[in-house]
Order: sequence, then structure tokens, then C-alpha cells
Amino acid sequence: MNNLFCAPLLAAGGSNSAIITFLVYIVGVMVLAWLSNRLLQSKSFLSEYFLGSRSLGVWAFALTFAATSASGGSFIGTPSLIYTHGWIVGLWIGSYMIVPIVSMGLLAKRINQVARKSGSITIPDVLRDRFESPVFGAIATALIVFFMVFNLIAQFKGGSVLLQTLLQDVPLFQDVSHGLAEALHGVPILGESEDKPGYLLCLLVFTVAVVVYTTYGGFRAVVWTDVMQGLVMLGGVILMLPLAIWAVGGLGSATREMAQMTPPNNVKLELTLTDPSNSTLNIPNNSWLVQDEGGTRRVFRTAARAQILPGEQTASYRVDKDSYSREIPGIELTYAKQVANATADDLGRAIQIRVLESKEYANGAGRPGVYVTGPGPDAKSAAGFLPFSLAVSFFFMWTFSGAGQPSNMVRLMAFNNSTTLRRSIFAVSIYYSMIYFPIVVIFCCARVLLPGWETESDRIMPEMARVTTALAGMPWLAGLLVAAPFAAVMSTMDSFLLMISSAVVRDIYQRNINPKASEKTIKRLTYAATIAVGTIAMLAAVSPPQFLQDIIVFTGSGLSTSFLAPVALMLYWPRFNRQGALAGMLGGFATHVTLYTVGTIMSGKVDAYEPFNFHPFMVGLFASFVIAISVTYLTSPPPEHLVRKYFYK
Amino acid sequence: MPEPEPVARPEYDPTYLNSLRELYVIIGLFAVFCFWSIFVCYNYGYLSPGEQLGEVSTVLGMPSWAFWGIALPWLGVDVVAVWFCFFYMKTDDLGEAHEGEDLAEQVAHLHEGEEARGE
Repeated sequence: MNNLFCAPLLAAGGSNSAIITFLVYIVGVMVLAWLSNRLLQSKSFLSEYFLGSRSLGVWAFALTFAATSASGGSFIGTPSLIYTHGWIVGLWIGSYMIVPIVSMGLLAKRINQVARKSGSITIPDVLRDRFESPVFGAIATALIVFFMVFNLIAQFKGGSVLLQTLLQDVPLFQDVSHGLAEALHGVPILGESEDKPGYLLCLLVFTVAVVVYTTYGGFRAVVWTDVMQGLVMLGGVILMLPLAIWAVGGLGSATREMAQMTPPNNVKLELTLTDPSNSTLNIPNNSWLVQDEGGTRRVFRTAARAQILPGEQTASYRVDKDSYSREIPGIELTYAKQVANATADDLGRAIQIRVLESKEYANGAGRPGVYVTGPGPDAKSAAGFLPFSLAVSFFFMWTFSGAGQPSNMVRLMAFNNSTTLRRSIFAVSIYYSMIYFPIVVIFCCARVLLPGWETESDRIMPEMARVTTALAGMPWLAGLLVAAPFAAVMSTMDSFLLMISSAVVRDIYQRNINPKASEKTIKRLTYAATIAVGTIAMLAAVSPPQFLQDIIVFTGSGLSTSFLAPVALMLYWPRFNRQGALAGMLGGFATHVTLYTVGTIMSGKVDAYEPFNFHPFMVGLFASFVIAISVTYLTSPPPEHLVRKYFYK
Repeated sequence: MPEPEPVARPEYDPTYLNSLRELYVIIGLFAVFCFWSIFVCYNYGYLSPGEQLGEVSTVLGMPSWAFWGIALPWLGVDVVAVWFCFFYMKTDDLGEAHEGEDLAEQVAHLHEGEEARGE
């Protein structure tokens, strides 16, 4: 018979610090929105609302650029990857060392100058004016709306999941979310989320907060909140770094410990009671289970919330709305030191464990050293997490995809002079150095400090905040640390929201439907569009499509492949013409979409076909440049007056 | 017979020329640091299939390949950023913003069209 020893291991405490932090935070952004709205009354509405009257100074410009680039991925996805794959993620994210110089320096001065010459407010505006082509402006608008709507839905979901992760142990939050689910029972769309009441509450809170402050304050509110959010992110990382290193007894000690580690096995478990249960027995997600049999000790951790119902003996978990399974997913530790030190959770009853399936990592199983070397352990890919070709791909992709994002480009149109640009590039370089490399160090320490979080690695950031501050005797500090991911998600969401509403109001309505619209009409339409876009994205996020993270990558790289080549060439090449720009944009888009379509057909989920292991971004960008240049040479030169206007004194 | 006056050759905008020069330097910097980082990490930080790691060598607590291939070039970029931002990059005049000019031109075209139809 198998035995289960039960004792708490780093049991999750119901802390109110996260909820207090979040509320203080929301009050802060609302105050900034109110101040921005007061400024809005005294300036030209559209230029102020969508571009801050092109008057951003060093701190505002630097921090809005940095905060917008750092989405929830920086504080949720990246820590999760570092925890799961080890030091090699430092190389995966290493190109952030050069991102500020490239993504700001490459286009900033020229796009700012060209936008001033033409009076453009949005990216489609610039393209339309530079080539005097309404059709080009309309196509650019369509691409931005197409990609960004998907991305906005994903960001709303990401923000809500994050908030839920942070608040799920707070009793007040649990009560309110269940009350909300009951109140919305039967309501179309919102009622469909009744099986995940916490998620729905977080989605509503996040949406209302972001939509209100973005709508009310416009671009300047977004920028000011970005400044606050950027400082919060920096503060969170700077505080957590020494705490993490101290908690593991020094970075050298952590690295040597990681060098001994071997990846866990992914398992499916059958969990049973010896006698039928009289009442429901809950087995929470991330429960530790220890099996001692014949002198052999095995340690498991569950990766799903399971239950044993009254009258039954075997645990089951809810796979989706309509189906249950008795094969409980989890992991089995393989690193001897962790196996020896693990203690089982107290579930109130002795449970028998039977391993139904056990899968080793495709790369790194049983090999000490994989967490401190490349290509890094990987559960599915035999080539490892980061083979050479992918390392090259990601170095290019992070650097140039940032430069090609319309949400970044529009910020490059908003700074006040080139001295601000020079100082901001330097400031963002230092800022990124203080954020990204320390994140690698912190979450390598997390691997040593918090074993077994492969079950839910997206939660490693708040767990690390909670545990390190508790060990240092300062649990109140956890709230401040977890504010960093709030900040990262919100600063990206508000920018995307404003990008889409500017596309609707400026690029579709004012420039294609009613150029003579009064300022009052434009103002009303702008507020209505921002609220409508936010509400539609929220409703779509109630039941978000599957494979959302893959969709984020698809949309982000798709925007860059479509926009980088035409924008870069139009700024630097006088011979570049409308036909070349249009062909380059559509060529990059088509290549990117084709590679994703082929990959999706081949794998059955949103995935990219990668010729020679190169990411579709690189292939699409290359195709976009080649097509743009070829078509330009094959067609007539651009009108002389446009060349004179944008390239000569 | 008087000779025709030579057509003045227009001069390129200095902001454009400076931006172009800076663009070449930025691409060069990217190439240097990309090569440095990937070359060092791949040659000293990757295990071959089946290879076992002996003792891990560290610098400042991190694997030595991560120090020489990531931390050091990162520091190098920050130093280069000082040179690039404060000594190389030019302070250029970006011009006045012609707010609403593009829209005004569009409205003017519309009026022209309406007048032409009226005639």
C-alpha cells in the first residue's frame, strides 16, 4: 500500500497586500487621467488626444516607450521560461541589450520629422501623406485593426488571469467573485463565464479601469500612467533582486545547485482513497504528494484541481465545461536532493497514488547541467529550448520586431526635440539593463528556492514575491512587488486600445468618411470609439479563443513584418514609391500569414511553419524588403514634389 | 544670346543626412553585439547531444558563458550608448508641426471637386 505523508509546504497565505496594492494603483491612474483631461481642454483635441501635442520630454518619452514594450510577458511569461529552462533564457532575451538603440534610433528622428512636415497623427496618416495615397492609408488601417483587435483581446485575458492569480487566496475576492457569478447566471455572454467567477470579476475590474482612464485622459494619460508603471516595474525588480540572491545564499550557490538539477517527468496520476469518501475531498492544484514504497521515495505535484466526491474513491478533475478525467496531470521530481527534502501537503485523508503515465523531457532528461547550459531542457523538443538557429532568430526578432510595431512608432512621433531622443535612448538602455538581466538572475534563484512550479510556472512571479518577502520578514512588501506585472499589462493594454480607437476615428471616419467633421463631433466619436473597442474586447475575452499566447506572437510579428520595411524605406530612400511600399507591406503580410497557415494546417493548432528553423518574422521581413525594393525599381519614380518635401531643405 | 541660368541643385535636408549616418552606425552596432553574444554563448555555453557537464565554471555567480556572452556585452552596449547618444548622434531641428495641414489639403481637394462638378 502506498502511504501519503501530509504536512504543509509553503502553504499559500491569504494576503490582502495584493488587493490593497491594486486599489491604490487604480486610484493613482485615475488621478493621472483626470489631470490629463484638464490639459486636453486647452489644446487641439486630436493632436493632444492621440499624440500628446508632440511635446513629450525625456522621462515621459523614455518610460512610455519602455513600459509599452514591456507587456505582461516580461513579468509573467519570461519568468516562467527562465524557471522552466534555466540560464539559457538569458540568451533568448539577450538582444534586449541593443533593443533601445535599434528600436528608437533606427526610425525615431526621421519619422518624427516626416510626421511634423505632413501634420500626421497616426501611422496610417504618415503613410497616406508620404505617398499621397488614400488607398495605402486605408490598407494600413485595416492591417492595424486586424492584428491589434486579436492582440487586445489577448492582453485583456492576460491581465485578468494575472490579477486572478494574485488575488485568488484572498477571502473577500472569493466571496465577491462567487456573488458576481450568481448575479450573472443566465445573462448572455457574461453568464457563460460562470465556471470561472474569479476570472470574470478580474476581467470586469481590469476593463473598467483601463477603458475609463484611457478614454478620459487620452494619450497623455496613457503616457503619464506609463511613467508611473515604468517606475513601479523598476522598483519591483530592484527590490526583488537582492532578496532573491540573499534567499538562496548567493548567486554562485544557486548556479551550482542548478547545475546538479535534472528536469521533472510529466505524469498522469490516479489518486484513490482506501474507503469511499463521506464528504467532498478537495485536492488543490499544486498539491505535493509523496509515495514511499519498498524504500523508494517518489515525489509528485498535481497540475490540476481535483476532487473526490461523496461515495466515490477516485479523484477526478474538470477538463473543460462538459468533461471530467480521472487521470490527474502533474509532475514527478527527479532531482535527488529535492526528492529527499519534499514534504507532502495535508489533505486530511491518506491517498493511494498510481502512476498511469510518465513522460521524460525530450531534451535534458537525467542530464545534470542542462539548466546552466544551452540549448536548455525542453519537455517536447528534442533539439532543446533554444537551438542555434532559434537563438539567432530571437536575437533578430526582439530587436527588429520592436522597431516595426506601430504602437512604438506612434510614440516616436510624440517627443518634442532630438535632444529628448538622445537622452531617452540612453535612459531606456540603462532601464532595460536594470530590468531584463536581473529578471534572469531572480528567476534562476526561484528554481532553487521554489521547486516543482513547472505545474503552474506562470505563477512563479507572485510566488517569488511572496516567499522572498516572507523570508526577509517583510511580507507587506509583496504587494509592491506584484504591482510590477499589473503595471506591465496595463501599460500595454491602454496603448493598444488607443491605437485602435485612433484608427477608427482618425483613419477611417475623419480621413475617409467625413473630413469636414467638427471638433465636437470628433471628440464625441473618439470617446465612444474608445469605450466601444474596450467593451467589445472585454466581451470577446469572456470566452477567449484557444491558443491565445500563440495568437499574441502571430499578431506582434505580423505587424512588424507588414510595417517595418515600408516605413523604414519611405524614411530613408528618396526613390521609394507608392507601388513599392504597398507591395512590400502586402508581401510581408502574405508571407507571414502563409507560413502560419501552413504551420496551423500541419500541427492542428495556431503554429508557424519555420523554414530552416527560422521564425516567420525573419522570413516575412526579408520577403517584405525584397518585394518593396524590386517593385520600386520596376515602376516609375515618385512625384518630384514629394521627394522635395520630405528629403530636401 | 544670354546663357540660361544654371538650375540650383537642391540640398538634402541635414536631418535626413544625419539620420542616415546614424542608421548605418546602429546597424553596425547591432551586428557587432549580435555576433559577440551568439558566438560566445554558442561556443562556450552549449552542450553537444549526449555530452555531460563536469564542474560548472562561474564568474560573479553566473555561468562563465553567460557572463562573457550576455552580461559583459550588455554592459558594453550601455557604454556605447553613452558615446552614441551624447557624442555621436546629432541634435537636429525636427521642424514645426503642421497640425491639420494634411486634413486641410484633403478638404481643399474635396472643395475643388465639388466646384468642378458645380461648373
